[in-house]
Amino acid sequence: MAAELLLKVENLSISLGSGEAARTLISNVAFEVRPKSVLGIIGESGSGKTLLSRALVNWVRPPLRVTSGRVIYQGRDLLELPEADMARLRGREIAYIGANPTTALDPTMPVGHQIEEKLRTIEPDLPRREARQRVIDLLDAVRIPSARSRFDEYPFQFSGGMMQRAMIVDALISKPKLLVADNITQPLDVTVAAQILRLLRDLQRDFGTSIVFVSSSFGTIVEVADEVVVLDKGTIVEAQDTGSIQKNPVHPYTKELLAKVPRLWHDVGSVPETNAEPVVLSVRDVAKTYEVKDRASLFRKNRVQAVRGVSFDVRRGESLGLIGESGCGKSTLSRLLSSLESPDRGAIEVNGVDVATLRGDALLSMRRRFQLLLQDPYNSIPSHVSIGATIAEPLRIHRLATGQQLRERVCEVMREVGLPPDLYDALPVGLSAGQRQRVNIARAMVLEPSVLILDETLSALDQVEQAKLLDLFDSLQRKHGITYLYISHDLAMVRRACARIAVMYLGKIVEIGDNETIFDAPAHPYTRTLLSSVSTVEAKPFLPRDYLLEGEPPDPIHIPGGCSFRSRCPFVIDTCRTVEPTLSIKAGGTATACHLDVDRLPAPSILAKARIGAAPKRMDSL
Amino acid sequence: MAFALEFFLRRISQGVLIVLAVAFVIFTLLRIAPGDPIRIILGPMATPSAMEETAERLGLRDPIPMQFLRYLGDIAKGDFGNSFIRGKQGGTTGGSQDAAGSPPVERAPVIELIAKALPYTLLLAACGFLLACLVSIPLGIMAGVKNSGWPQKVALYLSSLLVSLPNVWVGIVLIYLLSARTGWLPAIGYQHIGYVIIPAIVVAVELAPVMIRSISVAVATNVQDPFYEIGQVRGLSARTMLFRHVLRNAAVPLLNSFGAQMIGMLLGGLFVVEYIFSFPGIGLLTINAVFQRDFPVIQTVAIFASTVLVFINIAVDFASTTIDRRLKF
Repeated sequence: MAAELLLKVENLSISLGSGEAARTLISNVAFEVRPKSVLGIIGESGSGKTLLSRALVNWVRPPLRVTSGRVIYQGRDLLELPEADMARLRGREIAYIGANPTTALDPTMPVGHQIEEKLRTIEPDLPRREARQRVIDLLDAVRIPSARSRFDEYPFQFSGGMMQRAMIVDALISKPKLLVADNITQPLDVTVAAQILRLLRDLQRDFGTSIVFVSSSFGTIVEVADEVVVLDKGTIVEAQDTGSIQKNPVHPYTKELLAKVPRLWHDVGSVPETNAEPVVLSVRDVAKTYEVKDRASLFRKNRVQAVRGVSFDVRRGESLGLIGESGCGKSTLSRLLSSLESPDRGAIEVNGVDVATLRGDALLSMRRRFQLLLQDPYNSIPSHVSIGATIAEPLRIHRLATGQQLRERVCEVMREVGLPPDLYDALPVGLSAGQRQRVNIARAMVLEPSVLILDETLSALDQVEQAKLLDLFDSLQRKHGITYLYISHDLAMVRRACARIAVMYLGKIVEIGDNETIFDAPAHPYTRTLLSSVSTVEAKPFLPRDYLLEGEPPDPIHIPGGCSFRSRCPFVIDTCRTVEPTLSIKAGGTATACHLDVDRLPAPSILAKARIGAAPKRMDSL
Repeated sequence: MAFALEFFLRRISQGVLIVLAVAFVIFTLLRIAPGDPIRIILGPMATPSAMEETAERLGLRDPIPMQFLRYLGDIAKGDFGNSFIRGKQGGTTGGSQDAAGSPPVERAPVIELIAKALPYTLLLAACGFLLACLVSIPLGIMAGVKNSGWPQKVALYLSSLLVSLPNVWVGIVLIYLLSARTGWLPAIGYQHIGYVIIPAIVVAVELAPVMIRSISVAVATNVQDPFYEIGQVRGLSARTMLFRHVLRNAAVPLLNSFGAQMIGMLLGGLFVVEYIFSFPGIGLLTINAVFQRDFPVIQTVAIFASTVLVFINIAVDFASTTIDRRLKF
């Protein structure tokens, strides 16, 4: 048995620093990787996943230190190997892909050239033309469209998903025996992540590569791994094959992890419902186009159509979710809604008043009612200003309170969002991401807004903190009747938080409806695609094999005529090529921009349907 | 291709405007500054009527914008004017030596004076810059790659030391040590290439600390970028990553500091150094011209200097966008 092992980790411990102050981050980890198999390592943020995966390629740098253990690759301990021997393995037999593909390559050189450079380092005798051809062939194999011209493009011209494919090519070009993949799908959109996983599985089969697949998402791990080890605070608490760990998790931590995986269809509990309150925010046919210079031609500009005519209404106290892949115009829309920019056409009405007509004080007081919360909890708070002063600033700007009154108002808001008021005079140094996000929320809430735009506000937080903040948003909504606009790519979060959901594709809403219909009976193929690509541990009503998209959305400079989704739609018909569909009410009550009849789409999976029927009927949400 | 064409069309037209503005400012300032050049040309003994006559002939009594337009018209014809002071055969002909005043045609054309001085200045600049590069490129790279160890300490102490030495003082000390005391090297004036060594060292002493600092900072920044370590995990050697990728990335901020800072320093340094060493370059020509209120020489040198600066910056920006395609200009 032992001779067959490709990689064997024994008793591995890694600590930070040395002497008395040393902190053990990985302790006594042991596992084995067989040839041609996929080992999944799952752990939450801070569990030591990345450190462990770096140790596998002998990439542990001071102040981190391996204190004990061995990493035996084909009978040789990598940690003891002389640097020259290690260099002969790295990038050749052992490849590594990290979580952030966009910073992995030299930003000033074309992607293809850098992969070619690596290939020719490994095989110095390979003629340049042949090396280039091999890179292009493999770029083709990972389905990078027009690989030959992409070969000469620069890293910044690649999207995150394309770049991750390029890194996979870079790793596999040397036909490695072992590939360490550290959280490689984390920064990607669900549709792209699903494609990458499928691709990795295919390539693993074709190349016979063993993969150590590290991830924080159970849903992702179970889709690729043969065996799973669970890492908690630097120790392995459980190791089982993928099938049994889902059915019979033994360790309490594994059970907890499994329970935390967000559910979209099973045991979802109550979902928010729509209401009949007056409309607070009305968006009418809003569009925005940006002009960027075209490097390839003289004095010409390209028109990037970021938002192309979006309309929707949000009622008082309701939550609307806007979902879609990166680049679909979600963030541009949020900039338009928060009047950071003005739309080229269309109108945004707040309580019946067109925002574009407001000037001076009227605009300022409208803005008071309209607050924006962003994703990054670190850069959105000044680090040298006390927490209290940060939260108080909007009150000063709008001249709403001074002196003792101001302090009381701030403390009240801090209590409301779950920040201890003794932090008033503290600096934000040392606050966790969740606490920082609470400071942001307090800063917005102090103005008693009626509409909050949450642009990926919770995306940077882990699932526990996310759940707590969602509860906070719920209670604030109940108490103050606030309207939320969730802009997110996280479908599970939207499922839990939003009464109505709009799906965007290439700057347009392709489907809009209430929570239940969007998740259980969507009529647009794109909505179904998004749902089919979610990584979960449950049976899905829409199967990836029916819907999984190839490639990525076309760039918003060259939008195809007719239906803009037709270039990726698996069910395209002749009409789609010429006629652009408008939103119309389909069966199930959603407004859908699609020529197809729902009956022409594959029926939701029977298995999942039966389970949905069996699931406890949701309770009243309010 | 299209990008390059548009870039140069736009930047050169901007550059011409900048040079014109600089020329106008210098032209005006020289004419409103106190001191009458006629008095210098004709000497203290000249009669007021002779002075008035010469001024009229030289066009110095017309309104300044008119003088400027006439000057531009002459430049367009390739005529940068004649020196007020210097004669065709070289040597100063102003003041008491030539109290009667000779007609301007006999004075040396400015363009010739510059053409004669320019090669010396270019030689000195090139030697000084090369010398500075020899020291600061290896030291800067070594100091940037590792943020500990002796290269970093040497770089820090050496650049602190050099930056605090005034070039006038360095010049005099070197003249004393290498020339007056030991007789190893010639120092004053110019007769052969040996005369360039000491002045070049002084120029290099002024440039080196800035170069060491900016090279080590640029290299250190890029070594911390993830691609440097990841490249080694990908199987490329640290050497390849340093010489093919880190230096390429570091070149962009370096080019910028070269265009914005070092060229200015070099020009300023050359003026002082040439004066100390009586080195017959543009710097000495200009400083003498300033003392003698030789307007045509001063303004032509100023226009040349601003043209050189503008065009070096255009070249630097073009090189930067070619190296890093993310940059836009």
